[in-house]
Amino acid sequence: MIMTHAGLPDTWVWFALSVMMLALLWVLVRTPSNTSTQHFMNIERLPVLGQLARLFAASPWPLLILKFISVALFLTVIAAGLFGTPIPERNLATTLTWTVWWAGLIITVFFLGSAWCAVCPWDTIASWLVKHRLWRRADESSSLGLKVPKAWRNVWPALAMFIGLTWLELGVGVTTNPYATALLSLVMIVLATIYMAVFEGKAFCKHVCPVGRTVGFYAQLSMVELRPRQQQRCDNCETLECYHGTDEVEPCPTHLVMGTLKQSTYCTSCSACTMSCPHDNVGWRVRSPATEAIQHARPHWGEAWFMLGLLGLTTFHGITMLESWEKGLSSVGQWLGDSGQLILSFSLGMGLVFFLPILLYAILIKITQRLMPIEINFKQLFSKLAFISLPLAFVYHLAHNLNHLVRESRGFTEVLMNPLGRGSLPLSSHELHTRHMSPLISEQLLYGLQAGLMVFGFWLALQILQRRTMETLTDQAAWRSHYLLPGVIFIISVTAFNLWLLVQPMIMRM
Amino acid sequence: MQYLKTLIIATLLCVFALPAYAHHVLGRPSYSLGEDSNTPPSMQVETQIGDFYVTYMAFPAFPKPNEQGRVNLYASRIDNGLPFDGKVTFKVRDDSWFASKTEVLGVQDIDEVVYRQGFIFKNDGDYIITAEFESGGEPYQIDFPLRIGEPLAVGPIGITVAVLFFILLVVNILQRKRRFSLKAKRAREENNS
Repeated sequence: MIMTHAGLPDTWVWFALSVMMLALLWVLVRTPSNTSTQHFMNIERLPVLGQLARLFAASPWPLLILKFISVALFLTVIAAGLFGTPIPERNLATTLTWTVWWAGLIITVFFLGSAWCAVCPWDTIASWLVKHRLWRRADESSSLGLKVPKAWRNVWPALAMFIGLTWLELGVGVTTNPYATALLSLVMIVLATIYMAVFEGKAFCKHVCPVGRTVGFYAQLSMVELRPRQQQRCDNCETLECYHGTDEVEPCPTHLVMGTLKQSTYCTSCSACTMSCPHDNVGWRVRSPATEAIQHARPHWGEAWFMLGLLGLTTFHGITMLESWEKGLSSVGQWLGDSGQLILSFSLGMGLVFFLPILLYAILIKITQRLMPIEINFKQLFSKLAFISLPLAFVYHLAHNLNHLVRESRGFTEVLMNPLGRGSLPLSSHELHTRHMSPLISEQLLYGLQAGLMVFGFWLALQILQRRTMETLTDQAAWRSHYLLPGVIFIISVTAFNLWLLVQPMIMRM
Repeated sequence: MQYLKTLIIATLLCVFALPAYAHHVLGRPSYSLGEDSNTPPSMQVETQIGDFYVTYMAFPAFPKPNEQGRVNLYASRIDNGLPFDGKVTFKVRDDSWFASKTEVLGVQDIDEVVYRQGFIFKNDGDYIITAEFESGGEPYQIDFPLRIGEPLAVGPIGITVAVLFFILLVVNILQRKRRFSLKAKRAREENNS
């Protein structure tokens, strides 16, 4: 029996559209400022969070305990996948990995930035295997420590991995196959270990890991950041312990210097800098969300493709949950002589959905380039404005995942009590119906959050577009609102399509 | 600006006026209880091949060795929904890269709209059931998975451990070699000076 979740009601859609219209008008009529502004507050000043942040900064043990828990859960996932029931909704491997972790991870990024990377079991297991240390600085001979070849020193491998992961998730159906989920987990450990053993630092996290890079890019929109407490102190620092490490503490595994850090994309929140800084000058702080994406993050060609890829693939998740998608897939399958899981037809559809927004974006960037009063290289403009895709991808990802998390994670405690699902039966119609009818939060609150998220993403994308276009012009007097039009068309097209996807009923994953 | 606003509103109205649908995905095994939850669970795969939608159901969902089981196969034309009315041959082979031996389980005629094939397996393992039929002069062959008993999971863990051990061993050997050549180089430099 197939159960579908109801889509976003019209009332919420019209509410979202009305607010978006107002936001659009406001952005079009005002002349943006070209000065750099940033508002932040040290987390350590806050009552409970401050104590927690100080605890994690002062000692490696709290983080280590979290790592142990994460590794224990991860090994249980592998055991459940390999030895447990193949019924996905009764097996910890599929429920924890795809319904709770994968859906919840994106939500945590907004509040905790790239904190997940600090307790990631793939990296933790690889580190323990290669370095033979729980947290202290390892002997340099534990890894070959080679430099990553220049051609691989980018995020293209991570983009390829993310495309592969989406293909496995939606095409092959790893999400409903506990055994395949466990195999995927084992492959990730092997890859992380190979990279850790061969290359210096955390090259796997920085260049290959699809989860790490997704978290890293989304962290640009997060409301927290790890930064110097006093910039002056970092400016005067000549020893750079954050970069080089100390006798006890590892150097920054992704080669970041805290004093010049402007974007969190490659920060793995590993706490090495907070522990190694002799001046205790590194800490977490709360900031206005998306500050990095709006003004600080540096544009790069490969990173622009990753952000646009994220946009295409998150939208693709929603598309695969439409009946018209299945009908189209079936027709293409017949036409191509494809059978079984229609993998060829699926791959073609996925390729199309991946490239279509990029093509639209490229055309609109070309038009923007023509409209601008200054000479600017296409690749530069393409990279610079690609940040607008980040909030659009992020909010749809959040809104979509909220549906999975809120409506499908009921019954997770039962699975936690019987992770291998021994002796369990598939969900009965009654259980399916009960789950469907009792989401974790009220439906109206869920709809409100989804509509609010879409408005938030639209607003952030407009802000990024306006700010980065202004930066390109450099001269405030040369500003004209119509330079924004192609970008605005892109933002509206993507938001409208994603909003429409949210309106559609969505199938329960398991 | 007015033109832009009109364009935006028109586009949004067109987009939101489209009808709503649900979906399901072909070709993946799923497990379900019947509408009456006293019935035993079944494993089901829905897929398509050529002009036909094919649904395969295995009873029970988790058959054990020496236990009677049954496969039900439904095949209907994609264009008009009419069931295929001919003979279907059911075959079986081991689900492994090196399997070559295929056995015929039986040849079945349609019984109302379903082809039924019984089976008893003596050993645990992963098998592939192949259904073959001919329609419009075209041969059709479609494979479905069937697991008997408990899965063997030592394979993936064994391979992972072996690969990890091999990587760490190679790195260790290379590092020793590197250290040894560094020592030798230093010794040579000291001798020369």
